Amino acid sequence: MSGSGSALPVLSTESLTVWFGERRALTDVTIEIPRAQVVSIIGPTGSGKTTLLRSFNRMNELIPGANTEGTVRFGGIDLYDEAVDPVEVRRRIGMVFQQAMLFPGSVFDNVAFGLRAKGVEGDLHGLAEEVLTKVGLWSRGAEVLESRALDLSAGEQRLLAIARALALKPDVLLLDEPAAALDPTAAASVESVIHVLRQNHTIVLATSDHSQAGRLSDLTAYLDSGRLMEYGATLELFTNPRSERTESYLTGRLP
Amino acid sequence: MAVGDLAHGPIRTVGTIAATVTVTALLLLTVALLVEARGVLGVRFFLDPPSRVAELGGVGPALTGSLWLTFLVTLFAVPVGVGTAVYLTDYAPPNRTARVLGSVLANLAGVPSIVYGMAGLALFARGLGLGPSILAGALTLSALAIPMIVANCRNALDAVPDEIRWAAFSLGATRWQVVCHQVLPAAAPGIVAGCCTALLRVVGAAAPLLILGAVSFTTFAPGSPTDPLTALPTQIFAWAARPQEGFLALAAGASVGLLLLMALMHLVLYALRRSQWGESR
Repeated sequence: MSGSGSALPVLSTESLTVWFGERRALTDVTIEIPRAQVVSIIGPTGSGKTTLLRSFNRMNELIPGANTEGTVRFGGIDLYDEAVDPVEVRRRIGMVFQQAMLFPGSVFDNVAFGLRAKGVEGDLHGLAEEVLTKVGLWSRGAEVLESRALDLSAGEQRLLAIARALALKPDVLLLDEPAAALDPTAAASVESVIHVLRQNHTIVLATSDHSQAGRLSDLTAYLDSGRLMEYGATLELFTNPRSERTESYLTGRLP
Repeated sequence: MAVGDLAHGPIRTVGTIAATVTVTALLLLTVALLVEARGVLGVRFFLDPPSRVAELGGVGPALTGSLWLTFLVTLFAVPVGVGTAVYLTDYAPPNRTARVLGSVLANLAGVPSIVYGMAGLALFARGLGLGPSILAGALTLSALAIPMIVANCRNALDAVPDEIRWAAFSLGATRWQVVCHQVLPAAAPGIVAGCCTALLRVVGAAAPLLILGAVSFTTFAPGSPTDPLTALPTQIFAWAARPQEGFLALAAGASVGLLLLMALMHLVLYALRRSQWGESR
């Protein structure tokens, strides 16, 4: 199913099924995320996009009643193995939520939080400058560090959320609806940041914006009711979907 | 428009009347207390020990006792209460045991204080052999305060959005780091207010201390937790029960003292809020 010729996938699931209490959010999902690619997950609301993202860095288990079956591998490691520390997983596989979910406090506090939690000492300001430059927030100068995070505009907040995740230098970035509910200019700036980040990161993003998936991703996966319906090269999936179900979703004819 | 009419119509009138009645009643009570106590209030009154002669009596020991109790209850009940609340909201697995523990604690907050007095008498005064000491009183009042602190702090912790926790977890924080660096600071104003409310309640309680055997006639102020138990509420009770003229004024004076102590605690709470969170709200 992999759409790339590269070696081992960085992330892969095998027969992944996730339950929240009685509700089954993902059913038997098997997918491979190749290294250094951008993969979009599309599908209707409630199709399990967020659950799939969250299963890649063990965030689902924070929800009471969540239960994961099947395997998720990162490199060669079974992420759900008992010996694996979820804290370490989340440091290697970063996540940005649908809402920015910033901490009250300064921009610097937000960027430094993960570094301090990891026990990083030394030049936190330098590291903050580095990631804030990457997302374009440093253009406001060093004063941006002391700005209150919640005073930033919606677009800047989303960029800060990305910067905060980048500070830990993760191998993989999981982005949940990275530009949802932003005005077109802010959405464009988030997308251009993703374009830059793809050079050094494997990115998995969930989106309900097809054109965004088309602009950003190498591969696209279509989820429906918790099942992986189709997965392949983005252009191929959009222009020549194999399944009828995918085609009706893409053309807006899904009931 | 109908809602606007209501807000400016009968509901507003009723609300204004209710608020006026409440404030007037409180003012009248305070004024009555001050009038009754007008003859005794003075620096001497707050320093001197009680006396057989009403005119010479003071609340020195009782005030010192209440300060001791406030200090010790803060020392015992706040860490245990806040710790329990944190455990229940952020650590306990969402299972039956945690739910039962939570509701038992919630119900304990409603148990009358006199029952805590009986338990304290059996457990601390007799069981541990502490006798009617300041320490036995402080432990009993702590038992009374802990369920209230837990309930108040759980509300404060539950009010912290889960998104804050998720964001912190997603950045590779351990549960301990999430709680210490994000959840507790976000809940701090509510936690402080919740602890103060509980402390104010128990420091004014007379019933459990009477059961423990608080003394109301002591000539020296308690200097250590093992000294005999004496406190403002029990002193008020003892004086109010005396038939002789003059002691009622002392009881009123002691009540003013208790009110002042509480006002002081409110001021501390206010100052804490202003200094730490004033600018960020």
